[in-house]
Amino acid sequence: MSTPVLEVRGLNTHFFTRQGEVPAVRNVSFSLQAGEVLGLVGESGSGKSVTGLSLLGLVDAPGQIVSGSVKLNGKELIGLPEPELRERRGREISMIFQDPIATLNPMLSIGDQMRMALFAHEKRSMQDANTRCIDLLRKVGITDPEAGLKAYPHEYSGGMRQRVAIAIALLHNPSVIIADEPTTALDVSIQAQILTEMRDLVRETETALIWISHDLAVVASLAARIAVMYRGEIIETGPTFDILRNPGHVYTANLLAALPANTEPGQLLAHGGTLRSAINGPETVQPPDKGDFLSLNNVNRVFSPNISLGERIAELVGAGVRRRSTHAVNDVTLRVARGETLGLVGESGSGKSTLGKLMAGILPPTSGQIFLDDAPVMQAGKKSTLRIQTIFQDPFASLNPRMKVGHAVSEGALAHNLVKPFEVSDYVKRWFERVGLEPEWADRYPHQFSGGQRQRVAIARALAMQPDVLICDEPVASLDVSIQAQIINLFLELQKGLSLTMVFISHDLSVVRHLSDRVAVMYLGKIVELGPAEKIYKAPVHDYTQRLLNAVPVLDLS
Amino acid sequence: MSTQSSGLRLFWAEFRDNKVALFALVVVILMIFLALFASLISPQNPYDLANLSLMDSRRPPGFVGSGGYTHVLGTDPQGRDLLSAIFYGLRISIQIGLAAGFVSLTIGTALGIAAAYLGGRVEALIMRLVDLQLSFPAILLALVIVALLGQGKVQLIGALVAAQYAYFARTAYGAAKAERGKDYIEAALATPLSGRLVVWRHLLPNCAPPLIVVATVQIANSISLEATLSFLGLGLPVTEPSLGMLISNGFPYMMSGRYWISVYPGVALIILIVAINIVGDQVRDQFNPRLRK
Repeated sequence: MSTPVLEVRGLNTHFFTRQGEVPAVRNVSFSLQAGEVLGLVGESGSGKSVTGLSLLGLVDAPGQIVSGSVKLNGKELIGLPEPELRERRGREISMIFQDPIATLNPMLSIGDQMRMALFAHEKRSMQDANTRCIDLLRKVGITDPEAGLKAYPHEYSGGMRQRVAIAIALLHNPSVIIADEPTTALDVSIQAQILTEMRDLVRETETALIWISHDLAVVASLAARIAVMYRGEIIETGPTFDILRNPGHVYTANLLAALPANTEPGQLLAHGGTLRSAINGPETVQPPDKGDFLSLNNVNRVFSPNISLGERIAELVGAGVRRRSTHAVNDVTLRVARGETLGLVGESGSGKSTLGKLMAGILPPTSGQIFLDDAPVMQAGKKSTLRIQTIFQDPFASLNPRMKVGHAVSEGALAHNLVKPFEVSDYVKRWFERVGLEPEWADRYPHQFSGGQRQRVAIARALAMQPDVLICDEPVASLDVSIQAQIINLFLELQKGLSLTMVFISHDLSVVRHLSDRVAVMYLGKIVELGPAEKIYKAPVHDYTQRLLNAVPVLDLS
Repeated sequence: MSTQSSGLRLFWAEFRDNKVALFALVVVILMIFLALFASLISPQNPYDLANLSLMDSRRPPGFVGSGGYTHVLGTDPQGRDLLSAIFYGLRISIQIGLAAGFVSLTIGTALGIAAAYLGGRVEALIMRLVDLQLSFPAILLALVIVALLGQGKVQLIGALVAAQYAYFARTAYGAAKAERGKDYIEAALATPLSGRLVVWRHLLPNCAPPLIVVATVQIANSISLEATLSFLGLGLPVTEPSLGMLISNGFPYMMSGRYWISVYPGVALIILIVAINIVGDQVRDQFNPRLRK
């Protein structure tokens, strides 16, 4: 074996906070050969990102590297003064961040940013620099790279911007690239393209790559070796195949079992945490009886941009700019049966969230009607029914940070006289228990809960209105896999116990398949395919559905 | 209940860490006490003309006057004991600062939140009005209004409110506009809850932190604005001098060596305003998560 390009020994990074010293990275050691890809997986908060930042010496106060050694091409990085570290950053070791929108400077053209990064370490003629940039942009799959140099970041989509960020990371042929969740913010189909390109690039340039992700399937498709992090420690490391086949650690096994794609539809998912209303063993949930219930007739929703005073004046003098309005939901007709769970899938921008908001009575349709039984969902611009409730994607945003959770759960029911004031505490207690929360937590504020617990509170809040229909807009998308599994199990259990009708919106096909009786696929505002979940997965008819299915990275254990 | 108080306790623990801010807070509290108990601790009631003797006017600090006690900070042209006049002046300044601050807080917040919540034409109307007003210097506006309304406490407070509510409206609007777009407001509206409930229980509490910060700064601004107006002779009647008028009274004697008449009230005013601003800055830093440790 040759000498490793990167060798990390006993790395410890601690955060010095008011609450005390928090070890974020504990005794992490690994090494990396040229051209090797190491996958660093773990839940959020497990210390993956801080490990990446520590290698570059980019940990911000109050964080600090306490001890350990990081050797890059045989030279020790820890303890180097900042100017010498800067000299190596970008040239020998570079980083790709999660959010391509925040990484690029919106005020500079892509060419400016690339040249700036290039000139930081090398003297080159302008022409020479441009050739190098164009060459790299082509390599990362930007069509027409000459024009790309002059473009500004906002002219590019998220995927394209991430490609530019990758090109910048590759400018100086660094020995090591650290990629911190670079595809998490992207759509599945774009993620698939970028994964393929990264695989080729690494092979071609002999660059060692550390790929940080919470998604085991993504990591497995790219990395030859995986290190699993948990609470700041690497608890398991080894060849990808071995780890996936024979996870040596309980936590790794849980991460694997929590992936919806690895479990039969309708079965409860395995999860790591313990839970008050934990369900013993897998059960199968039967779809309840059918009958038309929620119906949408030729529903349209158009978003037209607000006309500002300036634009109006410009129009008057004949210099008006043509405004584009977006047809987010285009002539959708749909029936949801009583007790049914309908999955709604599609890429971001396909209009699935807008359709969800229309069904939930949050947005009025531009044209068309939405009925629950025979009553319209919205009347005179206001929602006219309590029977439809919504669960939002981000439980950190959907709960009022200054309202006790018990109050949040009971507020709506009290306002609509579903419960008498003297029964409120019993009522809250009942719903807390129903969703697996301790009743005595009702006096706490949202920030005292974890993401999964907050989503339970949001579910309790919706259920406390005693709805017949639950619209769930990506309710697990912002949660860690093992938490995701717990919440999906809760939905399965509620489906059965309360005979709820659910519309489950998600970009994650495996989650939808797991929960839904029928699946509707949305593309550019239209429903392009609708049918029983199993049929759509086994035999997709529409091109787009096939593309969507093929783009999903799946763990192949055979 | 326990969680709420532990949040406050944490806030206090963080505040206590900044020794300068802690000292400033002590100064503010001390000054409020001096103002509250001015009638008990002052050697003289400077507003009671029967107490004043022209024999004692413009005496330097340390002079023992006809009342038989020492004028620690000297006396002013009317023969008032300056120390007593400062205590009473503080009382007026703080009174007017707090009253103007809270009235403009209420009016400004109501307008700002209404604009952000209702949107559309109401929003355009209110916010353009506020923008228009913010483009005038506050002092100019206050001068015009005092000139129109005449002298007196209520008129003065009215002028200060008219000059300052726009800052609160801007702040409340900005905060409410940001909160309005968040999921929890959408969730409350989707329940559906009435607009009244959404505004009172969801929108208002979440807009509070920036408003508290602006309030502390604006109370200090009200005090200095009142002093400016009094200095220009547009404030309260001469028989009840506030700090600004005391400074103004001593102004003609500055060049003849009788510095104390203007300087000591000025020092008191500066200490008060600086202390309030330091406390306000610390509160602002603590509400700003980016500056959080």
